[in-house]
Formats: sequence, structure tokens, C-alpha cells
Amino acid sequence: MARPDPSTVTMNLPRRDARDKLLGRTRYTVDRLLPRMLHAAILRAEVASARIMRLDTTRARQMPGVRAIATAEDAPGMHGIGIADHPLFASGVIRFHGEQIAAVAADTYEQAEAAVRAIEVELEPLPPVLTMAAALAPGAPLIHPDWKSYEVLFEGGARGGNVAWEATVVRGDTDAAFARDDVVVVESCFRVGRQNHVSLEPRAVIAAYEDGRYHIETSTQVPWTVRNQTSKLLGVPPSQVHVTVPPVGGGFGQKFDCTLEPYAAILARKAGQPVRLVYSRQEEMLTCLCRENAEIKIRSAVTRGGEIAGREAVVLMDCGAYGGEQIFLTTMTAHTLGGNYKLGSIKLASRAVYTNTAPNGAFRACNGVYNTFALERHTDEICQAIGMDPLEFRRLNVLGDGDLGATGQVFEGDVLGPMLDRMAEMRDASPSKEHLAGNRLYGRATVVGTWFIFVGPSSATINLNADGSATLITAGVELGQGTMVQALPQIVGYELGIHPNNVIVRPADTDAAGFDLGVGGGRTTVSVGAASRAAAADIRGKILNAAGELLQTEPDKLVLRNGRVEIEGREGSGMTIAEVVQHLHRTAGPVVGSGSFTNPGVPSLPGCAAGHFIDAIDIPVFNVHDCEVAVDPDTGHVDILSYKVVQDVGRALNPRAIAGQIQGGVTQGIGYALHEEHTIGEDGCIRQNSLETYRVPLAQDTLPVEIELYEGAPSIGPLGVKGAGEIPIMNPPAAIACAVANATGCRVQQTPLTPPRVLGLILGREPEVELPHISANWWENVFRRPA
Amino acid sequence: MPTILTINGEQRVSSRGPMTPLVDVLRDEFFLTGAKSVCREGVCGACTVHLDGQPVVSCLVPIGTIGEREICTVESLAAAGEPSPLQQVMEEHDVVQCGMCFPGILMVLTGFLRERPHADRDEIKAALAGNVCRCTGYERLVDAAVALARA
Repeated sequence: MARPDPSTVTMNLPRRDARDKLLGRTRYTVDRLLPRMLHAAILRAEVASARIMRLDTTRARQMPGVRAIATAEDAPGMHGIGIADHPLFASGVIRFHGEQIAAVAADTYEQAEAAVRAIEVELEPLPPVLTMAAALAPGAPLIHPDWKSYEVLFEGGARGGNVAWEATVVRGDTDAAFARDDVVVVESCFRVGRQNHVSLEPRAVIAAYEDGRYHIETSTQVPWTVRNQTSKLLGVPPSQVHVTVPPVGGGFGQKFDCTLEPYAAILARKAGQPVRLVYSRQEEMLTCLCRENAEIKIRSAVTRGGEIAGREAVVLMDCGAYGGEQIFLTTMTAHTLGGNYKLGSIKLASRAVYTNTAPNGAFRACNGVYNTFALERHTDEICQAIGMDPLEFRRLNVLGDGDLGATGQVFEGDVLGPMLDRMAEMRDASPSKEHLAGNRLYGRATVVGTWFIFVGPSSATINLNADGSATLITAGVELGQGTMVQALPQIVGYELGIHPNNVIVRPADTDAAGFDLGVGGGRTTVSVGAASRAAAADIRGKILNAAGELLQTEPDKLVLRNGRVEIEGREGSGMTIAEVVQHLHRTAGPVVGSGSFTNPGVPSLPGCAAGHFIDAIDIPVFNVHDCEVAVDPDTGHVDILSYKVVQDVGRALNPRAIAGQIQGGVTQGIGYALHEEHTIGEDGCIRQNSLETYRVPLAQDTLPVEIELYEGAPSIGPLGVKGAGEIPIMNPPAAIACAVANATGCRVQQTPLTPPRVLGLILGREPEVELPHISANWWENVFRRPA
Repeated sequence: MPTILTINGEQRVSSRGPMTPLVDVLRDEFFLTGAKSVCREGVCGACTVHLDGQPVVSCLVPIGTIGEREICTVESLAAAGEPSPLQQVMEEHDVVQCGMCFPGILMVLTGFLRERPHADRDEIKAALAGNVCRCTGYERLVDAAVALARA
């Protein structure tokens, strides 16, 4: 069958949801209400570690307006990713400051809050374990003494003590590499803090119990996860949970887990009325499922000529009181810290460590952001040690066609090398901004990064309507990223020869759409896109066959274009698609197509990776970022003078929308690099509890990012696309930290680079990060034993 | 005691107490949910409305202090359903993402551009100093506002 030129799928289609968002008419979850709707509030622990001696809700039940109260006995199940270690309510013990103890539904929020305060709780405080160093110390109290009894949801991770999960990679003989007499050994240590998503719409849900089923309307990225986890926690069949998703006011990974939905569901069933639960900004700041704080020790054996003979690294990721997403994310160290460069041999350990702090979660590009910061700073320290130009070193070592990744997967295509060339052209084309630095210290750096598209299962159904429009049904969610209103209608419209505006996109509904892994990891355009394209191809075949009969023409001589079935080469011939559908209504019935997708899987080297959820990455995505900074030697303030991005996008479906993602993602990365900081007090409570104390980038902090989209790298995505929204945030901390190190001549080992920290570096007052709890002997850091 | 308010040209009667923040009355009592309640401490700007034409953060305005001043919300910008020039230019430049911050940004810029119709880029960015946007990185929506100021 003749197909249109794939380049015609590319267009700057505007968002169809922009108008109502601008008019203030869009109804996010926080804007919705139902008749008889109750309001819920949560009782949270105000200590980091304690035994619950007594919990009495008698007095609270008698408070005005109270309709239902839920505690641990209402939610018998445990949930998690990899390990089911997380109860819905604290049961017996408190493991973090802010942990949920009880939930109340009342006629008004104020009444619910008053009842929460009337719940009597008697606690016996226990000494909290607040840092990973303390959690790993010999004899440290166990945060989960019963860890062995927990249900294992994914096999393969080594566990023990306060280590929730360990993933390791061993490829080649690093001992031999480090023992070579022609190598220089470079060791670096890094520490990073947490980053809060600050989605402007907080986590929010309205739950109802109707006709024997729970209906959950929620601000989530993962409707199917909410369905399945709610059922697990409540101990009811998954088919009794129905999830729908209104427009979501920002997610960034925070809403990639089931969190507050089960509280509202339980209360709704108990009260027999719908229940609204919306986390306050303070709750969002203190219990947000942040990008985790982490500690990284990395050492490399490198020849004077710049060959990386061996590399060993240990990454400690603070998962907080429960394993959550960090258990999965241990996997990503292999593909990020172990990414970018050709390595003769490698040992990597990535450990999710329990502490008595608020659980962490997923955040746009997750640990890839700080692993890239660590890897790129380490790379510059190597260059300094061997006296090699950092750009020359990168050109020499970046992964190219046929090269082996950390876990032994074979990379396809030369991508990073040509992207570095493209960046060199960009640098040459625009004059340096060094003159803007004035009397300040000037620095510049170009860095690279590797992330991946988190593919996995998606499904789609399309109804082709008798008016020639198509209705696309998936469990994809519009968070603001644009996929549901731009990329998907473009793909379906391309395949069916109709304008994307004639593709109706149904909001996510688990009763209507099939299973989907959710919106995250840059996967929506790829996985939901591939399923949608397959569904459209299914329909395309039906239309072409029917039209072939009607037009007495071979289907392969027909094309779908401008809403018509035309004979190839004869514009305006044939008939409208609507007429074909109407004909099929009479002869074969309405036209429905279905499609599904999952990743084919890429082989890794057997025996190399242990405890990984993904041994090799199906779709790598690469970044090259360049930035110029000026550092004020008197205040330590870092000013970004220019910022350039070359991003691997496969095929750019909507270049203008991608530019919006890059500008926004880079800005979030700049915030994480420079001033977004969470610290934890001695009481285990996060100190920054509002937007006054946690500083996100404002309009005067940003600058226009100069952008080049690199197209043509191999991708299994539909029409060769790769997700573009996830990775812009990957490299700013690396680029800025390397540039600040170049400007100041100081060893940058931590982010964020707040003015006090940078001034401390310049004045020599900032203590070195040394990480004594990570042993120099790699094997002493892991449960894994040599084969 | 009920409080009489003039909202988008209409008299409304609120049954809430005089210390109730305006944003709660707008959203919960009159279902004008364009103003967003995001930080509730006047930092993020998402709940911005106009009081007698001046942008204010409605989370910090108790309704008992408003008196006869006229309240205008984002819902009033599109006269007779037609988007205002500022709303149109934001739509044309495709700068909206999640959209939660835009009602506040539109109210701030509408007030600002009324006083400074030909403001330059730096002035527009300065005017937005009290508006948090987590999605866009600001520059492209500033581009759109600059285009309007130059038109």
C-alpha cells in the first residue's frame, strides 16, 4: 500500500487544550466536585521513628461533620515496586516524619482537620536512622526488621539489613585494569540532595463507591498502577477499581505511583459518599516522593592516551522509609553512570538504602540526572589528571556503532559522536558570552549524557466514525507534556490520512482502554504511539480493502490523504473516507482497529548484570549540552551566560512542542543544579516546607536555551521517534558543575551549587566529600560474590 | 454576616466569614476555579485576580477587607467568549503546558501591559517575578508577551 512520505507527519500542531487552560475553564482534579462530596484529611506522624502504643479514634468519631475514619485495619495489604514493603497506614511502627496514621472524611475540610487533631496517639520514640551512612553502619537499627517476610514482586535483587535492593554489574576484569602499569587511577566522590517536583496541581483524588466498585478520579500519570495497587492495598479484586484521569496539572514523575488514592477509596466506601482528598502544599513539600539524595564513589583506570581500561563505582540511593521507585531505579545506574563511554571493564553497584525519612520516588530522568553529573565531573577530573582536552577525550570515548555498553549490550549507530560535532558547529556559530562575565570568573563546559525510553506495554483502540473522524482510546494521560494532544493525533492522522484535529483523544479510563504502563520515562509517544499506530494500521487495511472493491482498484494503488481514499497520483480521485465507513456500516459493521505494543527486549551479556529490572536498554537517548557561566567571587553566585542543547529525538514530530519541553526541562535542571535544596533536620523532618523556603526557578532566573534537534538515530519507536520530554533535565547539573569547576578551579563534588557552597569552594572552606562508608575494595560494598 | 462582593461585574453574596481568603470563596462558593490555590502564602501567583484593576494574590486577601472594590478573575478576560489579545498570543505561540500557572500569569500580564503596553523583555520578566511556572521555563511565554507588546 502506498504510504505518504514520513516527513509529512512532522508539523507544529498547536495544543487543542490550550484555549480552555487560558480561559481558566479546564477542570483539573482539584477543580472538581460531586454532590454530597466529603473532604478528607490525614493524620501524620511528627516523629521519624517510633512504636505506636495506642491509637484511639473514639473522640474524633464524635466530632461534628465526621462521616468516616480509616486506619491500618482498613487496609491489610502492602505495596511496592520489586518488594511489597509499604503499608498504607503506619501499622505498629512509625518509619518517617509525615507517615500516615489515620484518615478522616467529614462534611468540610476544616471539620476533617479538627477530627484529625482529636485522634489520640501514644508513641514510644525510637532512635531514628536519618542518613545512609548511619543506615549502613555496623549494628544500625533495622528499619524493616521483617524484611525477609515481605512479598517479592520482582526476583533477582540482593537484599539485607537496611539495603532494600542491590543491583550490580560486573563485566571484564577491573582488577587487572587497575593493576596495569600504564594507567592513571582517578577517584571521585559526589553527593547530591533531593529535588521536589513542585507540580502546581498537588496530588489530588475524588473517590466514590458505586454499584459495588470504586471509581477513582485522580491526578495521576499511571491509571493502571492506581487500579492495581489500590486493589492490592484494599484486598479487593482489581476489576472492582475503575480509574479515570482529568487533565493533570503537572507530574514530572511525582504522580508515577499510587499514593493517596486508596485513602479516599476506603473512606468513600465507609461513608457511602464521594470523598475528595487533596494534599496541601506543606504535605507536598514534606512527603513528595522526591528525586532521592545520593552518594557516589567512582574510580577509573585510564591510560595517558585516554583509553578507559577499567571503572568501578558504588551509588547509594536513599529510598527513605520504603523502597518504592528507588528499587527499580537501581537499574538505571548501569545505563547512565555506566553509559556515555567505552569501558574496557566495569564493576557497578547501585543500592537503595532505607532511612527513617520520607520515601522518595521518580522525578524526570530520575537518577540519570545525578549519575550524569557524577560521571561528567569525574570525566573532567580524569582529563585533568592525564592532561587531555575534555572535548577530545569525549570524542575519543563516546559510544558508537557496535560498541559495548556497561552490561554488554551492543549499541547501534554512531550518535553521540556526530552530536558532539553538531554542538561544535553551534559553538562556532554563536560568539562566546565571556565578555558578559566582566570581573567575574568565567567557565564553560560541554557534557554528554545517556538515558533511555522506558518502553513496555501499551494498547490502543480506534473507532473510525461515519463522519470520517477517529476516536483514539488509550490509557495515556495529558500532564502538560503535549503527547496526547499533539504527538498521538499526529501519528494517527498520518496513518489514516486525516487531519490530526479529526482525531478525538479520549481521556484515560481503565474501563475503556486496555493496560498501559503509564506516562513516564519518555514512553508515551513511543509505546502508546506505537500501539496507536498499530490500531490505525489495522483500520487503514480495512478502509483500503473496502475502497479497493468500491473503486475497482488494487488496494496497493490507493492512498489515504486529506480525508479521502485516492488512487495514487490522481489527486481528488476516489471517495471520502467517511463514505467508505458509511458503506462498511451497511456491509460489515462499524470500523474498529486495535493495536498493542511492548518492547522487543535487547540482549545483554549473560551473567553481567544482577538485580536489574532492565538488563539492556531498548531505546537509548543521548544529549549533548554546553553552557557558559560567570561566578561572582565575592558572593558565590552563579550566573548562566549561555545554554546550548543538541538532543537526540529520533524523528521530531512537533519541533515547536519539543522546544517547549527542552526549555522547561533545562530550567528544572538549572534549578536542581543551583538552588533547589531539601535538607533534613535532626527530627527527620524536611526543613523546606513551602515555596518560600524551597526555591524553584523564576522568570528572571532563566535564559533562552539554544536548541538543535538531532534526527535520524536508530529507534524502534513509531516512525523512528524517541520520547523528547524526559531527558532535557539530564545534563544541566553536569554542564553547570563542570563549568563552575572550570571557572573556579575548584573540585565540584556536590549540588546544588548555592552561593554559600560556591563561595565555600572558592575560599577553601567547603569540606571535601569523602564517603568513608563506601569501601575502596568494591567487593566489600556488595552482597554479590565473585563468580 | 454575609459579605457582598462584586465579581466580574456581578454582585454576589458570600456566606463565608470575613477572614476567608478570597481564593476559597471564588473557587468553592462561586465555582470560579480559574484562580488556582497552589501555595496559599502569596508566593506562586497562581491565584492572582484583579481588585479595581490591580493584580493581587487572592489567597492573601480576606473577603472582609475587599469592600466595594471590583474583583475580576481570569474568567472575565475573554469578553463575550473571545479570548483577549494576550490569551490569543499565548495560544498562537503554543506555550501552554500543564496550564495551572497561566490564569495567574495572564492576570499579572494583563494588568502590567495595560500600564506598560510596549514593555520590553526585561520588564515583562520582572513583572512575572511573583509567578511560578514549573513546566515551561518561562522564555517562550515571555516571547509571546513580547510579540504582543511589539504589535
